[in-house]
Amino acid sequence: MKALILRALNRRPPLPALTLSGIILATFVLMALIAPVVAPQNPYDPLQIYGWEASSPPGTRGSGGYLYLLGTDGLGRDIVSCILYGLRISLMVSVTSAAIAALIGLTAGVSAAYFGRWVDIVIMRLVDLQLSLPTILIALIAIVTLGPGIDRIILALIIAQWAGYARLARSVALSETNKSYMDAALLMRLPTSRIILRHLLPNSIAPAVTLIPIEIGHAIALEATLSFLGLGVPIDKPSLGSTVANGFQYLLTGQYWISLFPGLALFGLIASINLVGEHLRRRLDPRSRPI
Amino acid sequence: MALISAALGRLGQALLLLIAMSLIGFIGIHSIGNPVFNIVNIETATPEDIQRATVALGLDQPIWRQYLLFVGSVVHGNFGTSYIYHLPALQLVMSKLPATLELACMAMLIAAPAGTGVGLLAGRRKGTRLDRTILKSSVFALSLPSFWLSMMLILIGAILTGWFPSGGRGATARVMGQEWSVLTLDGLWHMALPVLALAIPNIALIARLARAGTIEVESLDFTRFCRAKGLSPRRILLRHTLPNISMPIVTIIGLQFGGMLAFAVVVESIFSWPGVGKLLIDSIQLLDRPVVMATLTFISVVFVALNAFVDLFHAVLDPRVRLPS
Repeated sequence: MKALILRALNRRPPLPALTLSGIILATFVLMALIAPVVAPQNPYDPLQIYGWEASSPPGTRGSGGYLYLLGTDGLGRDIVSCILYGLRISLMVSVTSAAIAALIGLTAGVSAAYFGRWVDIVIMRLVDLQLSLPTILIALIAIVTLGPGIDRIILALIIAQWAGYARLARSVALSETNKSYMDAALLMRLPTSRIILRHLLPNSIAPAVTLIPIEIGHAIALEATLSFLGLGVPIDKPSLGSTVANGFQYLLTGQYWISLFPGLALFGLIASINLVGEHLRRRLDPRSRPI
Repeated sequence: MALISAALGRLGQALLLLIAMSLIGFIGIHSIGNPVFNIVNIETATPEDIQRATVALGLDQPIWRQYLLFVGSVVHGNFGTSYIYHLPALQLVMSKLPATLELACMAMLIAAPAGTGVGLLAGRRKGTRLDRTILKSSVFALSLPSFWLSMMLILIGAILTGWFPSGGRGATARVMGQEWSVLTLDGLWHMALPVLALAIPNIALIARLARAGTIEVESLDFTRFCRAKGLSPRRILLRHTLPNISMPIVTIIGLQFGGMLAFAVVVESIFSWPGVGKLLIDSIQLLDRPVVMATLTFISVVFVALNAFVDLFHAVLDPRVRLPS
């Protein structure tokens, strides 16, 4: 089994750095999945929160019988639990939006390459339009338009990110359309949908897939930023970004733990995704230059 | 000729982008609540009061008419009057501009040379421990969410050590009818942390780009020729490699400068720096529609203009760019 995976990865053993960041990333994902089991407290349940224990420093023993390992926030929520539940929201939002954005972007890009003419012009103008503005600005405009809420955030992230996939998929698919298997498929008079879905898409998918981890990292940072600005997830279901934001006012009076630890978790999550993504991209797409 | 048609094509694209932006922005601003309640008291207002306010703000017109009126006045530089400050919206944005500009310029003045220098160094010593350290730290620097980076800068630079103030603009000097922090010592002292917050991710980005470029250029024949001629490594690096990698670096500087205006939203609201970004967030929260529109349009115009300028700059310097792709 291991040999098979190694062969898939160009027969090179994984670099130590990849292994380390991979393990860290896997731990984050696992923690997010089993958060309700391992978290000492459910930060969404007001009955488990003791308001008089707000802003306790790390290491305080709370009246719930458990240790506040990293302290509590301004409302008395255990920071460890906030991080674990926040991870869930951050990962759920970013993975969902990256997957849907990749799907939309791929389909749009491949269709633009296949149909050409006005389909190509319309799709690529839209893509140019989006790629010529910073993602944070697009996400900001989208969220202002759509209003707050988790589903809106996912939608805003999809709007902000689909164009990158579309441009990449189009350029790959354009070079694929000239290959002989496409001529064969056209000569056999296969239905258009079948040509696109069964032949063109699978052959142009690889470079765009290597983009996904990096875009997930971006999505996590974007969601956190929007939540930080108060435009993101609702206040009673804090993501990592809004937990950090809640701690901001306490930071100035020296209660650093409320924003330090959730921010560290956020940073670790994004950094490990970026490291894994970069290694994967170098493995799967040798032509790509690191930027 | 090719240059002129390239320029015209680019301008057309920029115009299209602006029209789309104004449309999206206008619709967007429309869906964030009824701004009538900013100027009438929601508890004591009679239906007549609300009606009068609606007419006064032009909100009784159909949406498409409001948009046309809006576009008509925008062309004349008139975005309407702020519901909160009772000042022309564009004037309000312009009055906040110097604060944002000096922050962004200062950050870029630090990030561009620092990033290029670090990148050249790493590219020159490809594969060494130094190179790997630089590459790895750049990934970490780019992974830092800007709001958390700003907060940690406050924690370390202001709260734990007390070296720098945690927010505000400090003393300003008046030049050309505007207040500038950059001209006073106290102002510079206040600028240190927000400038760092904006500069750090850009140093990392520029360094990665410069490193990749250096590695590519150093493998080309002409650098080998320079080496064969016996030029010193320093001279090769500064006189031959640097000019050849400057193109992508200039591009990213142009683009990131626009990006900084957008990211200033985060950094400014954390450091309570009274610039365009803070104005945008405050206005979104106060439903101050004209100001939100004016700010978003302004940031987009600057960004599109920078983009077009960078492209034209390329076309002038590098004839290959003029050919249609």
